[in-house]
Amino acid sequence: MNPPSSQPKIGEPYTPDYEEPPYSEDGEDLTLIRWMLSLTPLERLQAAQSATQSIMRLKNGRSSTT
Amino acid sequence: MADPRQPDYVAILQTLIKHQVDFIVIGGVCAILHGAPLMTQDVDIVHSRAPDNLPRLLAALQELRAYYRGQGDRRIAPNLSYLASPGHQLLMTTAGSCDILGTITGDRGYEELLPHTEEMLLALDQKVRVLDLPTLIQIKEEVGRDKDKMVLPTLRHTLAEKNKQ
Repeated sequence: MNPPSSQPKIGEPYTPDYEEPPYSEDGEDLTLIRWMLSLTPLERLQAAQSATQSIMRLKNGRSSTT
Repeated sequence: MADPRQPDYVAILQTLIKHQVDFIVIGGVCAILHGAPLMTQDVDIVHSRAPDNLPRLLAALQELRAYYRGQGDRRIAPNLSYLASPGHQLLMTTAGSCDILGTITGDRGYEELLPHTEEMLLALDQKVRVLDLPTLIQIKEEVGRDKDKMVLPTLRHTLAEKNKQ
């Protein structure tokens, strides 16, 4: 089965076609903000909590071996 | 028991809601609830110091086995008189750090902040009251600490994107 026409062919360079600029002029990643805004408040909390927990696990793991 | 080193913001908020505590979420969790892609290690709330609210707050904190951080091996639990003060109660719980603030900058307490809040639906029948985003930005500008200044661009862009919706 052929991939959808919007998919780049393997080996071809891919330049995403953003509907809106992905970054603000001062370098803020607006795609992350738009993604967060697409979630419910509970999902936003769970996403942030999961990210924080992952970092703390890495931090704890590193400190326990040094 | 939950690991306090693994923060569980949802558990803290749901425990406060279960005990019908009147409170306003501020700080990093407030920013996250508004959609800002940030991380934080604690839940900051401003609570109502009305006499009928304090026993409900204390019951919620007891369920979370709250005690004061930074007291060495001592486990000092908050009590009603501490919670009635305008000061900051910096607590550790089974679900992570939780700061209970009587007032914030400008001597603003629950009643003063209430007009600048909105309710968000956390889950079915679980509403949480949060500081509105323009007021959160304004407070962080007023406080002006480095850690507040760092998140201001993200908060301002989040507000701008939110206003487009």
